[in-house]
Amino acid sequence: MRRWTRTTALAGCLMGLAMPAMAEDISITVWAGGSNDSDSYRIEAIEMAADILEREAAILGEELNITVDGRRDFSGWDEFKQGVTLGAEAGTAPSIVVTSHLDIAPWSQAGYIVAVEDYVDLDAWPLSNVYPNLMEIASAGGTQWGVPQDAESRPFFFWRETLSQIGYSEDFIDALPDMVASGEYTLANVLEDAKKAVDMGLVEAGYGFYPRVSNGPDYAQFYQSFGGELIDPDSGKLVLDKAAMTEFYQFFVDAVAAGVTRQNHIGTEWNQWYNEVANGRAAFWHGGTWHFGRYAREGNDDFWNTIQFSLIPAGNDRGRANTITHPLVYLVMDQEDERIEEVAAQLVAIATEPRLNTLHAIQSNHLAVAKAQDGIELYSGNRWAAEATERLLGSANSQPNHLQYGAYSEAMFRGLEAAWTGVQTPEEAVAEVEAQMTATIGDDLIVR
Amino acid sequence: MTSRTLGIGFLTPALVAVFIFFFLPVMLTVVFAFTNMSTSTGITDGDYRIIGDRLRNLSDAGVSQASIDKLEAAGYQITEAGLAALAEQFGEDTADELRDDFLGQSYAKRRDLERVLRSLDDPIRKTRDRKAAADLFAVSIINTRFDTEEEFRAALTSTGIDAGDHDALTRFAYTGWGWTRDNFRLLLELPSTLRYAANTAFYVLCTLSFNILFGLFLAISTFYLPAKLANTFRAIWFLPRILPPVLYVLMWNWFTWDTGFISTVTGWFGVPQQNWMMQTTTRAWTVIILINGFVGASLGMILFSSAIKAIPTSMLYASEVDGANRWQQVRYIILPQLRWPILFMTAYQTLSLLTSFEYILLATDGGPGRATEVWALAAYHTALNNYGGNLQYGLGAAYALVLVVIGIAASALYLRLFNFRELLIKPRIEQ
Repeated sequence: MRRWTRTTALAGCLMGLAMPAMAEDISITVWAGGSNDSDSYRIEAIEMAADILEREAAILGEELNITVDGRRDFSGWDEFKQGVTLGAEAGTAPSIVVTSHLDIAPWSQAGYIVAVEDYVDLDAWPLSNVYPNLMEIASAGGTQWGVPQDAESRPFFFWRETLSQIGYSEDFIDALPDMVASGEYTLANVLEDAKKAVDMGLVEAGYGFYPRVSNGPDYAQFYQSFGGELIDPDSGKLVLDKAAMTEFYQFFVDAVAAGVTRQNHIGTEWNQWYNEVANGRAAFWHGGTWHFGRYAREGNDDFWNTIQFSLIPAGNDRGRANTITHPLVYLVMDQEDERIEEVAAQLVAIATEPRLNTLHAIQSNHLAVAKAQDGIELYSGNRWAAEATERLLGSANSQPNHLQYGAYSEAMFRGLEAAWTGVQTPEEAVAEVEAQMTATIGDDLIVR
Repeated sequence: MTSRTLGIGFLTPALVAVFIFFFLPVMLTVVFAFTNMSTSTGITDGDYRIIGDRLRNLSDAGVSQASIDKLEAAGYQITEAGLAALAEQFGEDTADELRDDFLGQSYAKRRDLERVLRSLDDPIRKTRDRKAAADLFAVSIINTRFDTEEEFRAALTSTGIDAGDHDALTRFAYTGWGWTRDNFRLLLELPSTLRYAANTAFYVLCTLSFNILFGLFLAISTFYLPAKLANTFRAIWFLPRILPPVLYVLMWNWFTWDTGFISTVTGWFGVPQQNWMMQTTTRAWTVIILINGFVGASLGMILFSSAIKAIPTSMLYASEVDGANRWQQVRYIILPQLRWPILFMTAYQTLSLLTSFEYILLATDGGPGRATEVWALAAYHTALNNYGGNLQYGLGAAYALVLVVIGIAASALYLRLFNFRELLIKPRIEQ
């Protein structure tokens, strides 16, 4: 009996050695949050990468079959994030997710994601070609957790016709981006000109300055405009600059008082908002680089002659003209089978190939993640991508990958909302924000 | 089988349901409320890892400076032990070359060492192999994940960290959740707590009054209508309850929005376009109370209507013979008979309003400026909705637990007030 077993085992081993390499089937699931039809390459790039990886394996004599299963039909970020985190708890997480870089801090701490640097060579093509500041945004605590999937930036917009009706010359309007960047044209000028536009009846009351309608990275830009800092680079702690926060709140309160911004603006329907700004109902507003394509869909196919864009203007002497980039990142989720993590990380690296990423960048009006994309005609031939990269990305910073940043951002927006809607004065709101942040963030906060 | 066991048998499904759908969630809320659970700690278990950029917080955690320096300085070092392991896995040649040129060298990051391994005359060509080879020289435990406490402590020992710091480091490195009472301390400290509590009290009181009074009004007024007409009216007033909440609130949004129905109609009379839900706090509350009020009133209407029907018509006829008018009938016959249904509705609605937030979430989402943020909505926002992605499950559960306690206290109070025994005695009205 024993001999028989041994013989079979031996025979089995020999057969195994003699057989050609077995086919390997890998199933990869990709979930992309906050993605609509024009963002389809977030998933399709992974599919294309899978094809390349299979071919590479075939040349090495291995048979690798990768099935990529993509999903992006989430009703919103909440559903996506709940799905990912609960899936990770239950062990059914997708292999790759496309999500906000802010998720890196909590998800790495929770062990939901694995570091891509464990599986791919960061010094090799194409990751070596990715802009270093973007790679930095996809890392935390000295570990490269993810790879930037796209870049964007959040500019300030001007409706050209309204400006010229106020009395500005074409030359002046063309020079506006530079004047904003140098601090000559500030948020005080915005308020003044918006009021003129309303008083002259060029736009309706409440449409002088028409900001974003919900919480988002955009509002941190205004805090920075008034000299606020989000994180202290030396200690790595979050910073609440009370003076900057008060002035930032005061700006919105003043805008409401001057009649250029509606008091109930927060919560406006997004579709309504896009349609209005794309067609000149507002004089000044701010948004994101991906708005370029959206405005065209809203019926404005002459962006360059109707709209001017710049950095978010400075608010005071302490502040600076700035913009925040909020790249989405590819993250590899923790799996039972480490081989899946490895393949997923390799797919992410291949999908960062300049040509593949350019497909996404141009289709969705995002900016490049790698330097070489400038040399790809599809990218360099696109006026929006080229000008937005040049005008905005150089001055862009990002929100910190700090575990408590969510609480920070939430408190900041609640305070803004309270001041904006007149429930509290800016001073009261900041006092409450301070109490809230001190209680929830504690040691990780510096109050100035 | 005795009837007693049969009875228990029949009760079992109900008991199981009560256990799963009531007892278990309440118990879990209690458990969660005393933890610091969040997205970053996970719900299941944690592991042990010292994150690179949290090193500077170590001194706050009571770890000696010597140990911190040791942890910081350590990285990857070319040692004989590492070279021996390398020789075994990747061949003597590679190990020899590395020994000749790099013995004793230290690298802060694995990436630096990987670069060295690639630059050798006989380089390690595959990424995977290079990473494995680099790991052979690791002397740092920063950013390394250990599944169990034993593994972590063993790694601390092998790194030569002073044993006195092991406990503090282990506590510091644990990424899972722990027990804490901080959630309740935080609730007491937060300035928003009082506001949410006041909002909730206001919301419950106003909506409840509207529910009961309007429900009563509908029940009594339809009672005096011809049967067919009355049923039609009741069916119409029942619509808010049977409509899906999302659809119902969407209609309210259209009704009150800047370009909605009210704005359009008032626009004809020269009133400037405005948002009739979110413009001011008063409007937001009015809309919230109406939205919830109509839903609640329809239930009250059904309940009160059937209670009124149970009043013997002979009493009403007799009162008419005595010359009573409608008001006197309502005052002296109908309302006294509705005492228990009214009390029941009050109790039931208080409890359900305390915990209900779905209509507020859909309508104002607590705005403008958190003016309509009620307690249950705050619990939802804390536990399940956060822009930065770190959801505070523990704190959210603490919010919810407060509601559970208030709910149980209110139920006990109502049971006493009702005098349940009296409720269960034979009705005075003869059937």
